[in-house]
Amino acid sequence: MLQGMVKFYFVESFKRGMVQMVRRPMYILMMVIIPLLGCFTLMDLMKAGTIRRVPVGVVDMDDSELSHRLLRTMDAFQQVNIKHQYKDFKEAKLAVQCGDILGFYYIPEDLEKRTLSARGPVVSFYINYSYFAPASMQYKGFKTISLLTNAGIVQTTLRTVGLPSQAIMATMQPYNTHQHMPANPWLNYNYYLSTSFVPCFFALFILLLTAFSLGTELKSGLCRQWLAVAGDNMVLALTGKLIPQTVVFTSVGWFIQWLMYCVYDLPLNCNPLHMLVAMPMFVMANQGFAVLMFCVTPNFRFGSTLCTLMGMLSFSFCAFSLPEEAMYPWVAAIGYLVPMKYYFLLSVDQAVNGIDLYYSRLYYAALVGFVVLPLVLSWRIKRECLNPIYVP
Amino acid sequence: MRQWFLEMYRVWWREFRLVLRDEGVVIFFFGVCAVYPILYSLIYNTEVERDEPIVVVDDCRSQLSRRLARNLDATPEVKIVSYAANMQEARELMHRKKCYGVVYIPRDFDMDVNRGEQGHVSVYSDMSVMFRYKNMLMAITNVTQAMGGELQSQRLAPFTYGGVELIESRQVPIGNTGMGLASAVLLFILPLVIQQSMLLGIGMLHGGSIERRRRNRGYDPMEEPACVSATVIGKMLCHQIVYVAPVVYVLHFTPMMFDFPQNSNLLHSVALAVPFIIAVSFMGQTLQAVVNERESVFLLFAFTSVIFVFLVGVSWPRYEMSRFWYTVGDCVPSTWMSNGYVLMQSGGATLSQIVHPYCMLWLQCGVFFVLAYAVERFVSRPRYRSWQRKAAADADSLQRFDIIKNGVG
Repeated sequence: MLQGMVKFYFVESFKRGMVQMVRRPMYILMMVIIPLLGCFTLMDLMKAGTIRRVPVGVVDMDDSELSHRLLRTMDAFQQVNIKHQYKDFKEAKLAVQCGDILGFYYIPEDLEKRTLSARGPVVSFYINYSYFAPASMQYKGFKTISLLTNAGIVQTTLRTVGLPSQAIMATMQPYNTHQHMPANPWLNYNYYLSTSFVPCFFALFILLLTAFSLGTELKSGLCRQWLAVAGDNMVLALTGKLIPQTVVFTSVGWFIQWLMYCVYDLPLNCNPLHMLVAMPMFVMANQGFAVLMFCVTPNFRFGSTLCTLMGMLSFSFCAFSLPEEAMYPWVAAIGYLVPMKYYFLLSVDQAVNGIDLYYSRLYYAALVGFVVLPLVLSWRIKRECLNPIYVP
Repeated sequence: MRQWFLEMYRVWWREFRLVLRDEGVVIFFFGVCAVYPILYSLIYNTEVERDEPIVVVDDCRSQLSRRLARNLDATPEVKIVSYAANMQEARELMHRKKCYGVVYIPRDFDMDVNRGEQGHVSVYSDMSVMFRYKNMLMAITNVTQAMGGELQSQRLAPFTYGGVELIESRQVPIGNTGMGLASAVLLFILPLVIQQSMLLGIGMLHGGSIERRRRNRGYDPMEEPACVSATVIGKMLCHQIVYVAPVVYVLHFTPMMFDFPQNSNLLHSVALAVPFIIAVSFMGQTLQAVVNERESVFLLFAFTSVIFVFLVGVSWPRYEMSRFWYTVGDCVPSTWMSNGYVLMQSGGATLSQIVHPYCMLWLQCGVFFVLAYAVERFVSRPRYRSWQRKAAADADSLQRFDIIKNGVG
């Protein structure tokens, strides 16, 4: 008997949720079209993967055979792109200020003379660190060029005294470092940005839309009807209303995963099932989080504001660019309040590093926690639903 | 003409009152501008990573390998949290996130070096966050180069008789001299905060007006009757005045509070912000056409921040974007504002050196004015008139529409 009632009410509120979702074009727009377009935008924007050919300038005050050789080598490098040769330091500095170039390589007077007479020649590279990612690329390029030039000089000297090439190598670089970059040996920048930013962007839509659909009930005063259809049971009302959205969001999420892993070839080093299962959990966790925000402030505008705030700040709190151990502890701790953090950690473990599922067990559990928690607190929304007050 | 100015003045004054009376809009215009810059700055305020936890697997156990580990530990970038017995154990620690990198020193490391061959070291880094890899690389490169340098001069001396000296290279960071993340990223974000708060606020004002029209048979009792251009320009002037304080606070005082590069003076920043605010105001008045109720601005406008951040070129440089995305970026005021602002604030450029972004902003003012005018004249006003006609025939039709749309009836 009781089971039948529950089933009846659930079916009724589910139907109501379906009709509501289909009736407003806004829902489909913000659940399917815009998220897909947005995720496509982010991934397509960065599809080149690695930053190459940073526009730089050179100042050659020496104008010697050595400096010409140096510049020729630099021109052949893919990290930097010599846009212009400036006649002095001041001109190059002005070009940086105007934004024409992002840095320049400065060869002082008498470079060749000083090199041959061992009087401590110094070249400098001026790098504009306001543009962070290109700056590190420039540094790498400039540093390699200087090393190669040195190698050229020393090699010539050592060969004339008859040293074998192996010994020359060992003299040039006594310690050789082998870098192992599991999962991303190409240092593809898109791997970092897309695996973190794209799901976070998607999460923003889930948060905003859930907040919007709950808020609309409260605002329009239809929340009594909403509750009545579910037999005055808030949990049934919430699940009935949100499950149609869960289904749509999950399908969109799977499509995004397909785009990420199959079309844009982001690393997927685990059983695809691990990520596929994570998606509906992620969707529900975000819906749960939005409901939780409404439990905290059962008001359309405040609830939406909180969801927007947390959704937007997740991009920073969740430590995609500055690692969490480098943040203030309280900032890193706030990151753990949003579902995105757990999805990020598990996708790093599973998709990027491909380690055992065992190590990610807690992250999956946390996502489940986000679904359960708001159901416990749903009495707060119920109270508001029975007595809705709209504050503009 | 006099009539036009009078109308514009009335619109300006009315918009002022609407802004200040609406709590939601005040929060967007002032609250967001006050809180977001501080929050973002606090998140990134540590600027750099220090003492990233790593683990060493020392199979060599010689005086040289211990020295290498000791020197690594002494770098600001990394910190050795443990010595693992073998790679298996190190990997386990990495999976448990106790460390984010492993340095492996093989058994014959010191033998190779002392024999005059190359010594090999292997480095494994966690690749989930770019910063960690960079830190790890920086530490190991600096240490091996410094140790190698000593060895090199010993080995080279007998051959070269001091005849050749290696070219030394020196890095001079400019603009963001501390090479910190916050100083680089935040200067791009600050103008964006202003833009987004303004778009949200303008959208919400319009949503409120639409809701009033629904309740009042298509008329907005708070609207000042005025011609289209007077309405658009009057509102813009109001936004300009309202935003004086947020602009000064966000663009001038926030960098001061968090010690970001501050090479621009207040006058130049404000001069750059004038066309920016005009352009954003017109942009908001163009985009507001899609807003049908107050709260849908969250849904419709909030996500654009993410797209705009990327188009600005802060995470991915603009010159690397495809022609299409580059052009899309050109159409957004924040792209020019942020890049111009960074050149001034960080590079110390004067307004005369950033003529291009500055002129582009003025161009956008023109383009968005035409768009805002067209939207108001050919979309919004005909729509209100049709509502008024509909409501004249059936008084409740507009409100009923609301219920049908939201509920199940």
